[in-house]
Amino acid sequence: MTHVPTANGTKMTGATSLVKSLEAAGVDVMFGIPGGAILPAYDPIFDSTIRHILVRHEQGAGHAATGYAQVTGRAGVCIATSGPGATNLVTPLMDAAMDSVPLVAITGQVPTAAIGTDAFQEADIRGITMPFTKHSYLVTDPADIPRAVAEAFHIANTGRPGPVLIDIAKDALQKETTFNWSETIKLAGYKPQIAPNQSAIDDAAALIAQSAKPVFYIGGGVIKANAAPELCQLVELLGAPVVTTLMARGAFPDSHPLHMGMPGMHGTVAAVTSLQKADLLITLGARFDDRVTGKLSTFAVNSKVIHADIDPAEIGKNRHADVGIIGDVRETIKALIPALKIALAKQRADLTPWLNSINNLKSTYSLGFDIPEDGSLSPQLVIQRIGQISGTDTIFTSGVGQHQMWASQFISYEKPRTWLNSGGAGTMGYGVPAAMGAKVGAPEATVWAIDGDGCFQMTNQELVTCALNNIPIKVAIINNESLGMVRQWQTLFYEGRYSNTSLDSKRIPNFPMLAEAMGCVGLACDNPADLDKTIEMAMSINDQPVVVDFRVHKDAMVWPMVAAGTSNDDIMIARATAPDWDSQEL
Amino acid sequence: MTTPTRRQHTLEVLVENEPGVLARVAGLFARRMYNIDSLNVGPTQDPTISKMIIVVGVEGHSLEQVIAQLDKLISVISINEILADTKATDHGVTPDYQN
Repeated sequence: MTHVPTANGTKMTGATSLVKSLEAAGVDVMFGIPGGAILPAYDPIFDSTIRHILVRHEQGAGHAATGYAQVTGRAGVCIATSGPGATNLVTPLMDAAMDSVPLVAITGQVPTAAIGTDAFQEADIRGITMPFTKHSYLVTDPADIPRAVAEAFHIANTGRPGPVLIDIAKDALQKETTFNWSETIKLAGYKPQIAPNQSAIDDAAALIAQSAKPVFYIGGGVIKANAAPELCQLVELLGAPVVTTLMARGAFPDSHPLHMGMPGMHGTVAAVTSLQKADLLITLGARFDDRVTGKLSTFAVNSKVIHADIDPAEIGKNRHADVGIIGDVRETIKALIPALKIALAKQRADLTPWLNSINNLKSTYSLGFDIPEDGSLSPQLVIQRIGQISGTDTIFTSGVGQHQMWASQFISYEKPRTWLNSGGAGTMGYGVPAAMGAKVGAPEATVWAIDGDGCFQMTNQELVTCALNNIPIKVAIINNESLGMVRQWQTLFYEGRYSNTSLDSKRIPNFPMLAEAMGCVGLACDNPADLDKTIEMAMSINDQPVVVDFRVHKDAMVWPMVAAGTSNDDIMIARATAPDWDSQEL
Repeated sequence: MTTPTRRQHTLEVLVENEPGVLARVAGLFARRMYNIDSLNVGPTQDPTISKMIIVVGVEGHSLEQVIAQLDKLISVISINEILADTKATDHGVTPDYQN
């Protein structure tokens, strides 16, 4: 994407050098808000080929950049001023770090002479973000700007992707410098391993061929590495069951007969149990998160582990790996396919009994939900119908909570990069700005934000940005007038004492009017008879953002559930209801 | 009464000599709950590179994990273990927590 600019060697300000560097790095869009310290950069931005989208809050800029990156696979860019502008990026940076999203954040800083004096709008943003940036820069010399930008994009996009911050002192933007962009990156301390070690591949292949109960445990790294087609080949070569984590939904088609669904706290019985009872976990680009493993000491106790990841620190971090493979997971899968063919030619376990028992669980405990007897709208049905009506090319984003889990369960994902959510960080309010960024990155696609009424009220201001900038996203507010997931925990673990989880969002705000006030089309639906035609109405509007207030039953709960801190063996399919294990042979 | 033995490891860490590098290393140890028993920073013959000598008490974490996390810092160029307390025993503790 990058090219050597013709401006090399010419005199310009640091600000112009920044914009020329961003252009040279291949940036086509960025999300941001100007302010005092970053203001010099906004003058050359005015003349740049880069599309700058003026957001309404810096958090919106950060999540939009993340949505853009998740859809395109290229680093998203956000830009803010010093102090509160920069601290408003803290949540998106943490979010991007937890979900390994390539992001470059540019912040203005007070002039060099004022740093450390508690100057107006001074914040040590590099210090604040150090725990969750992959790397960060404080630039005080304009000559350093092109190198910092080039390195930042290289670091963000390669290895395990992640967010990089460039904090630039105002005087460095104002001073004259000689522009010098170079593609050559010299980072002595950064050499991500891409190609896997062949002996580890051979060990893994031998282990797989011996295994009678293997499971593919697929994480978001498979999507990051664009490895979905290769994964499909590997899975079909072995014929073993597959589970895809919350970050990996879409990495393997939901419609594939070997797909057992999502594992974890709200995973399917088949997915959770297949991990628990496996004799081998073939772990590709996943990280044994506590939401997947449940109580770690009881997780898959009889299983060996193959763990392939680009980040060496993930191997053995939470779970011992019998075979660790460091490298790009696409390269790893490509190497594993021929090695496994050789291993399977020597020895091939019969997987039929294993597959039969897992398939039995899949059919017995398929995901479902009760339709409310009072005729009110079921939140799961709303989400399921949106998925069915809008089709598998649609990009979905979500906030965090019940609606997020239902969107991961009841929408069928067939393709990578069609499901964007805040998995590791659990950032409420991710949905709307991420949808905005996704739509900018994939303007031809239909983009639906499946949001909650709580989440929506955290970041809906970006609908103004969408309306003014021709970014026609669609938002489904799953309005259960409460902080639903917290309320669910109160129902289950706090004796139904609903402390501060009622939002009264069926009374206030009036979501359709709020949407109209922000330049969107506002719709509402509160009964099943109107559901399909409301969704179809929203689908028919493509020149404006659409917000639909789906007023749903508030007592619906997310099942299955493995309660926090408990074992995956204690999965519940409904309140106080465990699967009938006696009838299963595993 | 026996005092639990902690395994001490001495790491020689070469880092880019740039502002904030000490904060990066110290912050990593703090946020991942690794114990630093001592830490010294000094120059090398190359003015762009500094040397840190870190004595780390590994308890509940494997040395490999400490080194792997340290190695993720872009400013860290190399890590070598230079002394090992061979008398102490390793405590292989698996993290188990709920949240």
